[in-house]
Amino acid sequence: MAAAKAYDAVIIGGGHNGLVNAAYLARAGKRVLVLEKRHIVGGATVTEEVFPGFKFSVLSYVVSLLRPEIIRELDLPKHGLEILPLESTVTPMPNGDYLGRWADHDLTRRELYRHSPRDAEAYDDFGTLMYHLAYAVKPIMGMVPPDPTSLRPRDLRSLLRLGKHFRGLEPAHFYALYKLMTMSSADYLDEWFECEPLKATMSASGIIGTFLGPRSPGTAYVLLHHYMGEIDGVFRAWGFAKGGTGAVAEAIAAAARRLGAEIRTEATVSQVIVKHGRAVGVALEDGEEISARVVVSGLDPKLTFLKLVEPGELPADFLGAIRRYKIRGSSGKVNLALGELPSLTCLPGNGPHLRGAISISPSVEYLERAYDDAKYGEFSRHPYMDIIIPSMIDPGMAPPGKHVMSIFVQYAPFELNGGWNDQKREAFGDAVVNTLAQFAPNIKNAILHRQVVTPWDMQEEYSLTEGNIFHGELSLHQLFFLRPAPKWTDYRTPVTNLYQCGSGTHPGGGISGASGRLAALEILRDG
Amino acid sequence: MGKVNDAYDTIVIGAGHNGLVTAAYLARAGQRVLVLERSERVGGAVATEDVFPGFKFDTGSHRIERFHPSVVLDLRLAAHGLEIVASDPSVFAPTPEGHHLLLWRKAESSIESIGKLSAKDAERWKAFCGLVAKAAAFLESIYDNPPPDPLSNSRGDLWQLFRLGRRLRGLGKRDMLEVLRILPMTAKELLDEWFETDVLKGCLGSQGISGVLQGPMAAGTAYLFLHHQVGRKDGALRSTARVRGGMGNLARALAEAARQAGAEIRTKAPVGRILVKDGRAFGVALNDGGEIKAGRVVSNADPRHTFLELLDSTALSPEFLRAVRNIRFKGVCARVNLALKELPNFSCLPGEGPHLQGAITIAPSLEYLERAYDDAKYGEPSQEPYLEAVIPSLNDPDLAPAGRHVMSIFVQYAPYQLKDGAWDSIKREALGDRVVQTLAQYAPNLESAILHRQVLSPLDLENAFALTEGNIYHGEMTLDQLLFMRPVAGCSRYKTPLAGLYLCGAGTHPGGGVNGASGYNAARQILQEKRNN
Repeated sequence: MAAAKAYDAVIIGGGHNGLVNAAYLARAGKRVLVLEKRHIVGGATVTEEVFPGFKFSVLSYVVSLLRPEIIRELDLPKHGLEILPLESTVTPMPNGDYLGRWADHDLTRRELYRHSPRDAEAYDDFGTLMYHLAYAVKPIMGMVPPDPTSLRPRDLRSLLRLGKHFRGLEPAHFYALYKLMTMSSADYLDEWFECEPLKATMSASGIIGTFLGPRSPGTAYVLLHHYMGEIDGVFRAWGFAKGGTGAVAEAIAAAARRLGAEIRTEATVSQVIVKHGRAVGVALEDGEEISARVVVSGLDPKLTFLKLVEPGELPADFLGAIRRYKIRGSSGKVNLALGELPSLTCLPGNGPHLRGAISISPSVEYLERAYDDAKYGEFSRHPYMDIIIPSMIDPGMAPPGKHVMSIFVQYAPFELNGGWNDQKREAFGDAVVNTLAQFAPNIKNAILHRQVVTPWDMQEEYSLTEGNIFHGELSLHQLFFLRPAPKWTDYRTPVTNLYQCGSGTHPGGGISGASGRLAALEILRDG
Repeated sequence: MGKVNDAYDTIVIGAGHNGLVTAAYLARAGQRVLVLERSERVGGAVATEDVFPGFKFDTGSHRIERFHPSVVLDLRLAAHGLEIVASDPSVFAPTPEGHHLLLWRKAESSIESIGKLSAKDAERWKAFCGLVAKAAAFLESIYDNPPPDPLSNSRGDLWQLFRLGRRLRGLGKRDMLEVLRILPMTAKELLDEWFETDVLKGCLGSQGISGVLQGPMAAGTAYLFLHHQVGRKDGALRSTARVRGGMGNLARALAEAARQAGAEIRTKAPVGRILVKDGRAFGVALNDGGEIKAGRVVSNADPRHTFLELLDSTALSPEFLRAVRNIRFKGVCARVNLALKELPNFSCLPGEGPHLQGAITIAPSLEYLERAYDDAKYGEPSQEPYLEAVIPSLNDPDLAPAGRHVMSIFVQYAPYQLKDGAWDSIKREALGDRVVQTLAQYAPNLESAILHRQVLSPLDLENAFALTEGNIYHGEMTLDQLLFMRPVAGCSRYKTPLAGLYLCGAGTHPGGGVNGASGYNAARQILQEKRNN
């Protein structure tokens, strides 16, 4: 073994969680090496100049959940992180009207009133309740899930604390939270609102990244995510990183490097080396072996345990749990380089609405029908789309006078009937553009270049198994003390000194960095 | 706490099976009990009716999964003529390809049938039954008591929570985590983990969707599947039972037990209003204008009817009323009753045979069920519905003239809320045609065998059995409407925010199905409260 230099920790994958993990370990004085397969760090948190002069947040495109303690503790603003507010959401309607929600609360209220006085009244109460509920779950997001079967003092204390926390909530909040965890977003919102585009646009945030429709129970609690960012009071709920999402990864990487971590790109790990049940290092594809006291995987559980570790090193129970772990991808991304701005039929020309999100979600039924297509193995003929035009917020993203448009699309199932190929990819891109053209007729002429990213591409290029953007579905039976597998939720694994720090661990998806940080704290705990 | 001058200690509104159970228990405890039933017969949706001359049908529920064993013993229902007969086989499921599946009470027999479709599934059957039995036993322990209250600080409630936790831990580490993991899953996820045979998964998954406007790909349907397995200690999945002589005999036995205990039962006495004074229910007003006073009113009607129709809105807080309005009913079931001149002849298993004794289940795959749901989701009856048919006349010849038969078909999905207007006779008959055509694909002689046909749409079920929106469970059995959330949060223990008013119907924990548990729990709760005072 060419053990020129031994590391305390080798981190597999330079995604944002891997980088956060590295930074925290380095901060504690550990010698850390991050190994990234691609030529740039960031994983799915990446900005790439796909077409000359046009930069895209190729996959993840908004920042909302990045833990404030990470921003603070790693001093990310100093390393270049700047979040620009993304304040509005406009939902075009088939009848030529639109529903807008703006940063200006009064404006939003007036707008809602125009559609439904009842909803305008309910909107604030709803917001207040969600704010309380976000507070109620906040401690969970920041804790290591206890093992409910364990009798270790640490687990018992943790369980007790949880019990006390929830029993201490106001009954109304406790029950509302229970409903939120178990209901569909459509049913939950039906209890509050009547305006279709409002319900649809809100419920859309409950389906992002899941293989569920708005009428599927289990989609309601994701609504909370919208309110999670707000309570931290660090920045606005939804923001756009200056320089694209990749700038978030760059800032974390810069912080990690400054703290002493080493980052190698184009270094593909092919195996975790295990000796006598302990991880002792990794082997690279080119044959190089790197030893380390601790190996941390930022990859998803399927890749980590089914590809990098010899099956003989893992207990059968655990392997079974990882095999049945659900990780179906359901979304795609279409990135457009535009010669001119889109002009919406409902709001022609340039305007403040182009600085926010445009949501193609005219009704709950529209979303549900989009899901129906995917359920049976087709991409949605009329998909849900969340669109932003980053160059409107950060002109550096496109050449002067030109624009980039980021379209998050759902549903595009990984398991497509007949499989994904170039033809299907373009057909999918066409479905997206055609749907958008119904609301912005000039879009087809405005397109200079088009990049279509299917779940298949996400798997092949970005190492997201089945193209799942959350490293595993966020359904109730895959959360908290069940993520990714029972009893192995504290970032440890059945292999001693092998840890996991990706989104496949609690608290899961989104650019939050929480998994990376919590994993680092656990590793440091073990010494 | 009935005052001496009240004629009754307790008035029970509605003589459904739960109302009768509550009445019987309270009367046994010495209370003066009056049951008021709007129709001319007792039993509510537990009914056997003469629909066509000589042909009797179970017009409401057609089967029992587990009637509360304590109730059967305490009320000596056997002595009152109740005989519960287990169906064996419990399920006969034909497939479009001409295969079939039979599930029997004996695991070995089921395994043999499954083995013809998939050796792998046959091998896993016993382990699956074992896991389900464990999970169902855990649920059963929750069902035989009022639901746990996670927020209460009373010693009794904390003790109940503690016991629940201990029981869960008692399953052993592995099974405890497994049960917790399964509860919020979808039926499809659960079954896909175990089996590969479509018809096996379809016919098990159908139990996860019955009575809800959800497909087997919706979270919570694994729970509902388990709910229907409660009481099967032997792990004989989907085993069902029927009542000798028709479901109506259960109602009769319960009514007799109640009467013998001293309860008075009045039929054709519809209650129009619950009387309230100084924040307390003190009796009821009948539709004909008469008023009857009682120390306590127990409603077997569903929560929406109870709180929104029978009470003045000023009697309750706006928040509570809002919560009641938000209870989802969304009825999705219909029933088709056929008078047959001969038995159906199934292409996959021709002629007469034991297979006709089971529930004939048309659920060839989970996708079939999901597609049936897709139609209903947008307000249309399923093009190809999920069906469960029984032929009770095979064992009870009295139900039909000699040589003839009655077949009762449970149909899903037939949504109460249709996209194009309310149910009418044209839509009802179109549904009947569709059901018969669907079944005839498997039993081609069916159409010519029909002498008479009765179709009950969800609207008909609402009218016939006072089931709001035709929901057979008095409220959807979804995760957010179960346990301490049933019927609404903070009001799950049979007591309501209005002093003197209680609930005992399927709209309360543990909910739907002919099991008597709600009525039993409600009575015990009332009696215990009385003792505490």
